[in-house]
Amino acid sequence: MNWLITTFASSIGKKLMMAVTGLSFCAFLTAHLIGNLTLYAGRDAFNSYAEHLHSLGPLITVAETGLLFFGIIHVLTGLFLFFQNIAARPARYEVNKNAGGRTIGSATMPYTGLILIAFITFHLINFHFIDKTGTTIFQIVRDAFAKPSYIAIYVMAVVTAAFHVSHGLWSAFQTLGINHPKYMPLIRKAGIAFSILIGIGFGFIPVFISLTT
Amino acid sequence: MRLDAKIPAGPLAEKWDRHRFELKLVNPANKRKFEIIVVGTGLAGGSASASLAELGYNVKTFCIQDSPRRAHSIAAQGGINASKNYQNDGDSDWRLFYDTVKGGDFRAREANVYRLAQLSGNIIDQCVAQGVPFAREYGGQLANRSFGGAQVSRTFYARGQTGQQLLLGAYSALSRQVAAGKVTMYPRREMLDVVVADGQARGIIVRNLVTGEIEKYAADAVILASGGYANVFFLSTNAMASNVTAAYRAYKKGACFANPCFTQIHPTCIPVHGTYQSKLTLMSESLRNDGRVWVPKKPGDKRSPSQIPESERDYYLENKYPSFGNLVPRDVASRNAKEQCDIGKGVGETGLAVYLDFADAIKRDGKEVIAKKYGNLFQMYEKITADNPYETPMMIYPAVHYTMGGLWVDYNLMSTIDGLFVLGEANFSDHGANRLGASALMQGLADGYFIIPYTIGGYLAGNAKKKVTTEHPAFNESLAQIDSQVKRLLSIKGKRTVDDFHRQLGNIMWEYCGMSRNDAGLEKARELIRSLRGEFWENVIVPGSGSDFNQSLERAGRVADFLEFGELMVIDALSRRESCGGHFNEGYQTEDNEAMRDDENFCHVSAWEYTGYEKEPLLNREPLVFENVKLTQRSYK
Amino acid sequence: MTKTLNLTLKVWRQKGQNSKGSFETYNAKGISSDMSFLEMIDVINEQLTIDGIEPIAFDHDCREGICGMCGTVVNGRPHGPEKGTTLCQLHMRHFSDGDTIVVEPWRSRAFKVIKDLVVDRSALDKIIQAGGYISVNTGGAPDANAILVSQETAEKAMDAAACIGCGACVAACPNASAMLFTSAKISQLALLPQGKPEAAKRAMEMVRTMDGLGFGNCTNERECEAECPKEISIVNIARMNREFFKAAFLS
Repeated sequence: MNWLITTFASSIGKKLMMAVTGLSFCAFLTAHLIGNLTLYAGRDAFNSYAEHLHSLGPLITVAETGLLFFGIIHVLTGLFLFFQNIAARPARYEVNKNAGGRTIGSATMPYTGLILIAFITFHLINFHFIDKTGTTIFQIVRDAFAKPSYIAIYVMAVVTAAFHVSHGLWSAFQTLGINHPKYMPLIRKAGIAFSILIGIGFGFIPVFISLTT
Repeated sequence: MRLDAKIPAGPLAEKWDRHRFELKLVNPANKRKFEIIVVGTGLAGGSASASLAELGYNVKTFCIQDSPRRAHSIAAQGGINASKNYQNDGDSDWRLFYDTVKGGDFRAREANVYRLAQLSGNIIDQCVAQGVPFAREYGGQLANRSFGGAQVSRTFYARGQTGQQLLLGAYSALSRQVAAGKVTMYPRREMLDVVVADGQARGIIVRNLVTGEIEKYAADAVILASGGYANVFFLSTNAMASNVTAAYRAYKKGACFANPCFTQIHPTCIPVHGTYQSKLTLMSESLRNDGRVWVPKKPGDKRSPSQIPESERDYYLENKYPSFGNLVPRDVASRNAKEQCDIGKGVGETGLAVYLDFADAIKRDGKEVIAKKYGNLFQMYEKITADNPYETPMMIYPAVHYTMGGLWVDYNLMSTIDGLFVLGEANFSDHGANRLGASALMQGLADGYFIIPYTIGGYLAGNAKKKVTTEHPAFNESLAQIDSQVKRLLSIKGKRTVDDFHRQLGNIMWEYCGMSRNDAGLEKARELIRSLRGEFWENVIVPGSGSDFNQSLERAGRVADFLEFGELMVIDALSRRESCGGHFNEGYQTEDNEAMRDDENFCHVSAWEYTGYEKEPLLNREPLVFENVKLTQRSYK
Repeated sequence: MTKTLNLTLKVWRQKGQNSKGSFETYNAKGISSDMSFLEMIDVINEQLTIDGIEPIAFDHDCREGICGMCGTVVNGRPHGPEKGTTLCQLHMRHFSDGDTIVVEPWRSRAFKVIKDLVVDRSALDKIIQAGGYISVNTGGAPDANAILVSQETAEKAMDAAACIGCGACVAACPNASAMLFTSAKISQLALLPQGKPEAAKRAMEMVRTMDGLGFGNCTNERECEAECPKEISIVNIARMNREFFKAAFLS
């Protein structure tokens, strides 16, 4: 097992962990978004989606545990890298300029990441760890988005996630070694498209709910 | 001094084999008891360090840069010759040998050159095994291109960065030995003296360029691979740090300096454009494969090249040398460019340039093919001049590029100091009075990979030596002398900078000891150098201290040596009363202005012996005996 | 056309490794637009020398863009603003009259400042010593044409091998990572058949050594390839990652 620890402790190993966990979150976001789309079909569709999901029982627990585990890895590794990278340049430059490689998404990764943890905690408290007796999930959502402050927080969080993903997705491919001059431009475009999709798909939900109720 | 070249007996093609057999061997277990110092990490020094360490010797390697990977071999662009005959165009060891001897205007040693040709193939094998990414054909075989002075295609290349790739190959082999603990690497050190103890080279004195400390190192033998002295001209294609100091200090300690006046002027460089200019940039000679050299037929024609019709262009090389055309050897191409400019046909703002035109090649092969061959060179040209060579012809002018002269060595590459070996451009051995393109890389690597590992063994096995440590009085004597020179340079506190002196020396050398020379000019140069040297020691300003990183001080020491060495070059040029290769004395030329040799009186190596500061050096002659080639007037018509 | 420029330079001056440094301001007058950046510093240094001030220390050697010795950060850009250009090949025609230019050394924990703009890049040599070679002794190599390499592979290897080891990638990386440098060597040797036998060991050892030298981690910001004077692509970093995973999980 020694080799496994050495591998994951190396710089590339840490990148690998960030990439694999990050990609799994992208997959989760996709599933989450598809499920949430039922909101647009109205109350019954959404409630029945929720019921179906819960009927999966232990599978859900496994998935949740997995996500939590990956989340911890992603956050801890990310924080570790963040501090290590700061330490790698003790004296900073007087003038900082980009040569065109950096994007807003890539430059803000640690910060958007931290915002996202805060948001996910907030999101789980609102919709997951909430007493659901005598109400439906749709009701909870509707009540939440009746407050303008909630709408604002959710929209901003989703935009933050979009920026995070705009760098994260293609970056994961690069880290995994999937970079070919033929396909990389496509992957990069797909990354941007995915982040826009996430942004609009999730971001419009609170607005839609508050408008339709 | 009697010079014994120690050329083995027997037929030319068998000399090296026979010599290797006759050389004594060092028992593998004993090799680790020997310490060897290598100065320089270019192709010669890098490959020698790696190869000797592989054999088991303990090697201490020194370089002036921050990393051994930066030695100036890295800047060689065009390629490396080898008589592989992969193109089936009639190449052979004999042909490479003959081309090199003839290209050198019959002033090189037959036996050395033949050995070089024999080893050329091994070099390519070795470099490929190291992972040097040479250019390939579609089928996966190595590609070749042709080069000046040859009618076969025998040059191997890696884009326009062949020197870089070969050096990185040697550097990787060296790095492997550093990791194995067999080579100790001392970067940012400048060698300031060879220590001769009991008649043998037993160590060196260096200055640590970071701390300023003067350090002593002892060994059983010393190898100098410190490159050439083209920077005596101030403006040359050499790197800024290239200098003669290591070689010159060895000369002062008793190593003879051979043929210092044999300097090569490369025909295809970017012309000088201002007085602030710090160095010249070479455009690979391979460009002459596809580029056509021309000037306007009418002197003083200031029209832009596109406005000069075909009928008013003078493709002077093609007209004058129909069989070699644009591919004549470097000295011939350079001298012809100068000739055209001297009669007012030069182009560009200064009138000191000729065109190198790719329009026909682009028309014939397409822009893409040309870009693939020369893309990086074109890009480099455009960066420096802001002209696009795909659209307008390049402007080129000759510049000092390489020095064939160097410390005298015998067949074993040992100088006239016992135990001091000299490799690569620092020695004089293989190129005679003119070097052919793509031959410098070949010589550096042959010396380092395939010659010194054998011959140094012969030296070490031959004489049982008692150990010498840095406590030997010779070390302290030398150290004290170096220390006092450093202090003296810092204490002058005059008015003129080191570069200012260097630039003036360069002007003198270029004007009177450059592409063409004459007796009156050389005499004058000698006077000018002497008085400049006098002024230097009274009026130079070297700021800072000797006990830290001080680039002005580094340069001051080098320029001090150039100021002495320049005079030696002039003395050598004056004494060689003929024209040959890179040495063109206007008093000795044929009717059509070609170099006229005097084989009767000057078919020899001039090896100069130091006799003291400002004293006339002593000339020793090593006669050159040609048993296998007939001395002819070089003709590239 | 040649122009004359007057510039203001803010240059990092630091006496030695353990001294504190600061910026000094110099006026560069009458600079020709045909000069290279280093020639411009030469001109300033000549003046400083005559004025009895110690000239600015900076590394440089071949001045034709191949030795990798030169390099400073100019207005926040390693080797200055031109793409695919070393500092020695950067010409003053890319600046305008009246510009203020800030010149700083490479900044990285792995590169200590020796003096002014000169830094210690021996860490890069250590990475190569860890495995950036093919273990072949001199002599005994097979005929060069016995090893066939497709033209495409040779070209790719050459793209990676073009690295000049200047350290601009480290200087440019927001995290001061040396991945582009390391990957270029790993890539070159992994692509060629000669390098295959040691590929796994090489990837593991070189990455491990790189990690131990104090460089940062790669976060795929792509600043390295944008600043690399030889325009080496991060495709090489992806290849290094593959080589590393192969070595770690399959060997």
